[in-house]
Amino acid sequence: MKIMLNDAPCDFLGHTLLDLLRYLGKREQGIAIAINQQVVPKSLWASTELNEHSQVFIFESIAGG
Amino acid sequence: MSSFFIAGHEFHSRLFTGTGKYASANTMMDSLIASKSELVTLSLRRMDLKQQTDNILQPLQQHCMKLLPNTSGARTAKEAVFAAELAREALETNWVKLEIHPDPRYLMPDGMETLLAAEELIKKGFVVMPYVHADPVLCKRLEEVGCQCVMPLGSPIGSNMGLASRPFLEIIIEQSTVPVIVDAGIGAPSDAALALEIGADAVLVNTAMAVARQPAQMGKAFRLAVEAGRMAYESGLGERRVQAQATSPLTEFIGALS
Repeated sequence: MKIMLNDAPCDFLGHTLLDLLRYLGKREQGIAIAINQQVVPKSLWASTELNEHSQVFIFESIAGG
Repeated sequence: MSSFFIAGHEFHSRLFTGTGKYASANTMMDSLIASKSELVTLSLRRMDLKQQTDNILQPLQQHCMKLLPNTSGARTAKEAVFAAELAREALETNWVKLEIHPDPRYLMPDGMETLLAAEELIKKGFVVMPYVHADPVLCKRLEEVGCQCVMPLGSPIGSNMGLASRPFLEIIIEQSTVPVIVDAGIGAPSDAALALEIGADAVLVNTAMAVARQPAQMGKAFRLAVEAGRMAYESGLGERRVQAQATSPLTEFIGALS
């Protein structure tokens, strides 16, 4: 599946947001995901299907004031 | 020292802390633990896909610190609302420190965009803690639209200039019916003590603790200063006077020598 991830092309095995996260090997704690500028709740990650028009942004919590 | 509440949540410590600028996660934790802070701020950014960043959430949660995501990086109300919605998912909290500063040089908060974003976020069920100028009119407007506290600045973020806005902070404190948290610019424990002495409900400190040579010791210094400042406020400070007023009775005995 080819998508745009954080403004760069990404090719991964799978169809859903959860597949993408597992492919990336990133922890799921403290992160948020938006597709086409819409925030996707965690409860929907497993059922959210991606397609080649999906503009995915993954955000992570970091230190800050 | 009395506790206080924001949106029904009780805080025993009046020292809120940021997590930025620390040399390491361990140094940060040592400092925060010494400060006895119960609320810490965090930011959100696009994930670095190339490397795994330090997981600072785990130690913060282990120590039962309440997490307050900020909207730092947002330049408009629209961006701030988006950032808050992301943060709610990432950190599983509907609390947000609303900060909108379009100017990277002075990081001055945009009051108009902040008010617009606050109204929208409150409608969406957020507990909004807005970081703003020490502007008494704006703080009142934010309170009226439903903000659960206001966070006026002492001086520019990271400037260590202390309470440059003191006269305006005093008006905000006098008028506010929600907690007032002095945020930004607090460079020394004495600044924090002063904020509490003039009646602020709490302070938010980051840079001064994070960049100290000994962050853990500085965390403790801020804790003590905040406690002292609040105790002094609750005890009742004496009035300032131009003229002296004797603390000992002025008797005539020295005159007896002549």
